[in-house]
Amino acid sequence: MIKTNKQIIRGTLMLTYLLIIAILLFLVSSLYSFLNTGADRSKMLHTEVKKVEQYLPKIVWKDDGNEGRTISQQKISAVENDYLDAWYVKQIAYKTNTQAGISDYYTKNSRKNIYDILKYNKLNKISIDATTLEHHLDIEFFSEDGQLIVLKDSNAIEYKQVFKNEKLILEATEVSSYRAVLLLEDGFWRIRHMVKEASEKFKNTTQKNFIAFTNIKGINYYPQATPWNMYGDDFDINIIENDFKIIKNAGLNSIRIFVPYVDFGKANVKLDKLEKLQKVLDTAQKKGLKVVVTLFDFYGNYDVLDWTLNHRHAEKIVENFKDHEAILAWDIKNEPNLDFNSRGKENVIAWLDYMIIVIKSIDKKHPVTIGWSNTKSATILKDKVDVVSFHYYEDLANFENEYLALQEEIKDKPIILQEFGLSSYGGFWRPFVGSEKKQANYYEEIQKIMTKNSIPFMSWTLYDFDVVPKEVLGRLPWRTNPQKKFGFINNKGEKKLSFKYISKE
Amino acid sequence: MKLKKLFFLLFFQLILTSFHAQEANISNAIRLISTTKEFIAGAKIILEFKVEKETKFQLYCSNSYGSSIIESENSGNKISFEIPEFLTKKRGVLSWEVLATKEKVSGNITILSIQKPVTIETYLGPPSIDAGAVDYTMLVVIPTDSLDNPIRDNSKVLVKHQFLKSEKETAIYTDKLIGYKNIFSPLKSGRIIISSESFGLNSKEFDVNVMPAIATNFKLFVNRNHEYADGNQITTFYTSVIKDKNNNIVSDGSFVEFFIRNKTKNILKTFGTTINGIAKAKMIHPDYEEKWKVKAYFIGIAESNVLEVNYKKVIEDYMVSFSENNRKIKVGPLKSFMNQTIPDGLSVKLAIYQNNILIKQLYEESKNGFTEFYLDPNIFENNSYKIITETAGIQKEFKEIKL
Repeated sequence: MIKTNKQIIRGTLMLTYLLIIAILLFLVSSLYSFLNTGADRSKMLHTEVKKVEQYLPKIVWKDDGNEGRTISQQKISAVENDYLDAWYVKQIAYKTNTQAGISDYYTKNSRKNIYDILKYNKLNKISIDATTLEHHLDIEFFSEDGQLIVLKDSNAIEYKQVFKNEKLILEATEVSSYRAVLLLEDGFWRIRHMVKEASEKFKNTTQKNFIAFTNIKGINYYPQATPWNMYGDDFDINIIENDFKIIKNAGLNSIRIFVPYVDFGKANVKLDKLEKLQKVLDTAQKKGLKVVVTLFDFYGNYDVLDWTLNHRHAEKIVENFKDHEAILAWDIKNEPNLDFNSRGKENVIAWLDYMIIVIKSIDKKHPVTIGWSNTKSATILKDKVDVVSFHYYEDLANFENEYLALQEEIKDKPIILQEFGLSSYGGFWRPFVGSEKKQANYYEEIQKIMTKNSIPFMSWTLYDFDVVPKEVLGRLPWRTNPQKKFGFINNKGEKKLSFKYISKE
Repeated sequence: MKLKKLFFLLFFQLILTSFHAQEANISNAIRLISTTKEFIAGAKIILEFKVEKETKFQLYCSNSYGSSIIESENSGNKISFEIPEFLTKKRGVLSWEVLATKEKVSGNITILSIQKPVTIETYLGPPSIDAGAVDYTMLVVIPTDSLDNPIRDNSKVLVKHQFLKSEKETAIYTDKLIGYKNIFSPLKSGRIIISSESFGLNSKEFDVNVMPAIATNFKLFVNRNHEYADGNQITTFYTSVIKDKNNNIVSDGSFVEFFIRNKTKNILKTFGTTINGIAKAKMIHPDYEEKWKVKAYFIGIAESNVLEVNYKKVIEDYMVSFSENNRKIKVGPLKSFMNQTIPDGLSVKLAIYQNNILIKQLYEESKNGFTEFYLDPNIFENNSYKIITETAGIQKEFKEIKL
């Protein structure tokens, strides 16, 4: 008994000793590291402010000269940079109710105005998630000593989501005109005075674009070897051309392809990717296929402060291909309704709404659609899109009714069944669920319905795939394996039974 | 069967829409009573509305700097929103919108600045300009009210400036938030004092230095103790008083370069900066007969005339004596213009030739009027050499010297 007690005491003592040493060591080391940190000299002069593209609203400069000293292009871009940064830090401040960054872009007197509002908003649990989509800038005056600028910002489009107690209570889009006095201080063009001179509610006036033809018999297309990664290093236009030949010969007249957002370079769309897309469209044109281009694949942020970047991405691609003969329609996003839960329904819908405006302002010819994943969501924004698209993977028995019900609600616009299909997978993870026979029957049945109601369609998909990236459906084998077997042609290039019904009953 | 389903659907929709209708009834009809659309910054702004039922409302408002939400004050079927001071104090459009109403109830209020400035923000630059009525400085003023708003456009600001005996006062009008005036330099250099006045408020005093403009051509002079090339005295070059085209003496410290071209077309350079318009530069006398052509420049701006300076020979002749098997060569005595011993440091050259090929040149400086060379037997073997001495531009040749 005594012996055990002694052992316990000894043990405790040793442990305490170790603990004390550990604490001391930690304290000394943190003191040491504290003394070794300090301001980096290169940062004193703001020489190393890295340009990260985080806020890229559309900027239109009015280049009509100014009073006072003539201004160089370099100075204009410096002003643009700092003025946009001023907006960006302000948006962040009102979103988070913190003051970070404000002092860099607003002078001592003007930043007080922002701080006052921030204080009140914080106290009342109000936060504002906002962005600006467009600025029309004009330098009106530049002082002789190069230290003061009067900047006119007319018809700036501001989108705001106002939250109270973390609940969205207002969405507002305003078109406002500002006049600002900027001073050059510490190398920054800082806002000294800001006066909102006019403001009105944004009016959405987009034109209607009509689809070239509605007799769509199409297919969703990925090359067999590189599904979901069509424009990567293994891009081979010969394979694609051959596939297009197969599609055309099967009696189809259109395809749907996807443009991945990150792979294409986000706001700065990469030229080599555009070239690859150009080749795909040219080839489709050559083979007599029309193309629905689905943008923003593998994108799911929708954050208000991300919008300007998304807009620059869409702008670049649409601007580049708006006159391409092969384009049938722009599909803004594949199945955005699946992001409603994680990203907020209002947010996603607002994002789509403004994306439609952006695309339609550039391409005044081609229709815009959204690839909703079911009939229920397909009515969202039905007044804004030119063509309504939906996907159908549910029970075939209800298909006709659901389609007819949707047609009741959308009378004046074409409705496209943009994705449908059945997996022929019946292997280990889902024994006896699917087979090539069942798949063929499914297509035979659905073709009948589609012919009867003359429904434009695009099936999923041409090939069976060997790999499905984890970003598509995750890693679970009972989910990814069926996805590999949706094709009309298997991974060895042999036509499956369903191929017979690829374009007709 | 199908008919039944359709009927059911219709019924269901009817119920749904009726729910909707009820909800619309609940949401209160609201009407703006307040009529004033224009306020002065800082004034109390209260928006009043007539409502059917007393419920709390929220108002979104947005001014030049940001947006916020305020809550209503209710009294019976009237509600009011008092816009907080931090939103009413800034000039510009204040947009508002009542939240959660059936129809959008929104509007704009214009807030004007208080037309009584308390500060005149002044930006003046550049701070120094050239005299001559070509260059100018710019005065930018932003009269601001007590709430830091720029006062209304088209407000009068008096700009006053004084230079020597002239005092001027001109009126400018603010436009696009600011007012500005270019003030051109006078012909004379000096200092302009500038101030401004707006609605009786005077700014403090600002000044701009009017610097002399660029120099015009000038003259060059020389000053030296004697005209002998003794390699010891110093010659001073100096300019006339350098002025700009309006007779202002150029700024002190202006840099002048002096170029000296000698007989052999080589260039010597010396520098000076002006004090009271005169630049001085110095150069040591040559140690042999010379003829210098000197010219001074403000590089790229102005130049002087060419000045010729001659230096006379100071030594007519000298002796060379050989001893210790001709290995010790003594040059001197070297005597100056009054037969005085030449100051130490005169350069003496000794060249040694064998079969008319130069094999060695030795340099020494004179000390107490003499220079000694010693030809080391380890280097110069016993043989016959030609030796040439040279100092102060005088050469002496000794053929067939046997060592």
